[in-house]
Amino acid sequence: MAEGLIVRSLRDGSLPGEHAPALCLEDSLPSPLASHSHAVFRHLLTSLLSTGTGTAVVLVAFHRSPSFYLSLLSPTFHNSIRLLDCYSDPLAWKPNHHPPPPSHSPQNITLLTNLNHLPHFLSSILHLAKDLGAQGHERVTVAIDSVTHMLRHAPLPSVLQLLTNLRCHEKISSLFWLIHTDLHEPKVISSFEYISTMIASLQPIVQLPDYANANISASITSLEENYSKAKFNLRLKRRNGRVKLLCEELLIEQGSVKFSSVPSVSSVVAQNLIPKVQFNIQLSDKERMDRANVVLPFEHQGNGQNIEIYDGRRSLSESQNDPSSIKIGGLSEQKRSNNNKSEKGEIHYIRDSDDEQPDSDEDPDDDLDI
Amino acid sequence: MATGGGQQERPTRPSSFSRVSSSSFSPASSSSTSTSLPPGVRIGANGAAFVSSGIPDLDRILGGGFLVGSVVMVMEDADAPHHLLLLRNFMSQGIVHGQSVLFAGPTKEPRSFLGTLPSPVVQKEGLKIKHDVSDVQDKEKGLRIAWQYKKYFGEQTAVDSHNRDKKQEFSSDFDLRKPLERQLLNSQNVECISTQDAFDLSKLQNHCLTFVSKLSMKDGINSNAGRIAIQSLCAPQCGYFEKDWDMLSFIRSLRATVQSSNAVAVITFPASVLSNSISKRWQHLADTLLSIRAIPDKDLAKLLTGYQDMLGFLHVHKVAQFNSQVPVILDASTYSLKLQKRKSLVLERLNQAPVEGSSGVSYATSGSCSSSKGSLLDF
Repeated sequence: MAEGLIVRSLRDGSLPGEHAPALCLEDSLPSPLASHSHAVFRHLLTSLLSTGTGTAVVLVAFHRSPSFYLSLLSPTFHNSIRLLDCYSDPLAWKPNHHPPPPSHSPQNITLLTNLNHLPHFLSSILHLAKDLGAQGHERVTVAIDSVTHMLRHAPLPSVLQLLTNLRCHEKISSLFWLIHTDLHEPKVISSFEYISTMIASLQPIVQLPDYANANISASITSLEENYSKAKFNLRLKRRNGRVKLLCEELLIEQGSVKFSSVPSVSSVVAQNLIPKVQFNIQLSDKERMDRANVVLPFEHQGNGQNIEIYDGRRSLSESQNDPSSIKIGGLSEQKRSNNNKSEKGEIHYIRDSDDEQPDSDEDPDDDLDI
Repeated sequence: MATGGGQQERPTRPSSFSRVSSSSFSPASSSSTSTSLPPGVRIGANGAAFVSSGIPDLDRILGGGFLVGSVVMVMEDADAPHHLLLLRNFMSQGIVHGQSVLFAGPTKEPRSFLGTLPSPVVQKEGLKIKHDVSDVQDKEKGLRIAWQYKKYFGEQTAVDSHNRDKKQEFSSDFDLRKPLERQLLNSQNVECISTQDAFDLSKLQNHCLTFVSKLSMKDGINSNAGRIAIQSLCAPQCGYFEKDWDMLSFIRSLRATVQSSNAVAVITFPASVLSNSISKRWQHLADTLLSIRAIPDKDLAKLLTGYQDMLGFLHVHKVAQFNSQVPVILDASTYSLKLQKRKSLVLERLNQAPVEGSSGVSYATSGSCSSSKGSLLDF
């Protein structure tokens, strides 16, 4: 379900007047699936391309060579992807560089060497996006292989400005990137989370034990599990301001990624959010009406009928045969189940003793002679 | 340290609206000076001057509104955009009262934010007529009329009938679905600045200084109050984001500027993108500190009533106080943001959901200090 949500959101793009949705895919070292996050990245890439003909992707490749990505995809998709090659020569070391003309599909790959100059970077991406748009793809998604690599070359505010500008641009319909959380300060990670609308992170299923106390040997074997599974946490920022949290299991099999929903873990309710909660003692209108309809266990209700109040001594059948008496629900455990909620409210009154005259307990001052 | 100095200066604020003497509450003197107050400013407890925040509930919670000369900081939540609701109401209130407004935002076109400002809800005619009637009466009966009409206004501090129609105008209800009229926005009083491409805050600082000096330039005529609204001051995409100490000194200088003038500054900032120590410093610099929290979906439905209508939580950390050493102690510090009839923003106290009848156990929270999952409440 999480995967479906992500793909759908990235594919749908943004509403007019909104910024494009952005997915921040985070990975961390404890999950030895640092490569697995890349598998998720590739998986998203292929699912985006394979769903529908309208989506096209501009891929900015830092981490792997562009040919690697091209080999992943079937040739039918080669037309809907444009690659910005930042892998081959990011620091412009090769003298007199020009786009290498290999024999296979060179037209999707654009070499970029001047990575320090971000406006140029932005314009290259937009150029490729326009290219794709001209070909008839109305939705262009930008995928950045790894923002960590970008941060090597440019300072944080400019990278964020670039991403925000991409989000605002009308040619780009959605955006996703990969970031390695261990290589940056928490401030940097939270800044990326700030500008994204979806945050997905991979965590290990089995945490590393505390070496001081735990029984190490037993727990290390369970760490094996980490190699095949991981926890996939997704945080979605919704349009109405609510946050949706999802947690699923990720399985990597034979190079393909499978998501499965985990049996519901009891979510820890944010206790610190509500320090002081009061009870609402105001009544709503419906509640007021219901209150007016409750029959009170008085001896006389004021409508001329004599009321018998069950005092626990008379048998059930006798009171049932008495037509003039109104039962005040004191027999609830025999007649009705506890969970039966009738429309009117009920008041159960059981009298103390038979000796008391009716209404004698009402007013102790009755015998005063004034 | 500068913040320590700021703390000491707080009780004596030389803004031109407030008065130090406590005889301000006698009807004779207040009526003579009440005519000299510009619209939108009210004298409240301890002779302090308040402007409305645009949300009547928030004014009531803070004890009158935002203090003139104070800096209000709102800590944003990275997941939800509700701080914009507070900013919008604040700016609309200023524009409706004819006060000068300065807005700074981290976008290329901050002017477009003005298009989202709400317009005030039109008051019903019946209440208006009663105000005129009370005006006609003379002063002695004025107090009695005030008592009679108290039930229409709920609780309030001692305000005589002469000020009553001003009271109604002090804070208006805003309809978030209707945008503010164009001609109000195009007046000279509203300025917008973009902070996205700025590499340092000197430009913004100069703008604030000139804005505040323009406020006090009109001598003789009562200078109006001014409002400074800065959205997401430490947004990560701004060029000065890595310069922590520059941002802190900007806030300090803004605080000093605003303190001796008739302006109120509201700054929102995403606290999660700052490092812990810097974030604490920001929070200490605020006179009034509020924070917004987003609600995780469906998580708290068992605990609270009215959960579906809630947009988010508003938490009040600090409330500014002037001319008094007594701190403000609130009944509750967390409120829920709701949209009433989908148009106006209200703040409500949180109510616990009714206990499950059959089980008799409620998932009660036991305060912020306990870390357990919740205690069983047995009736």
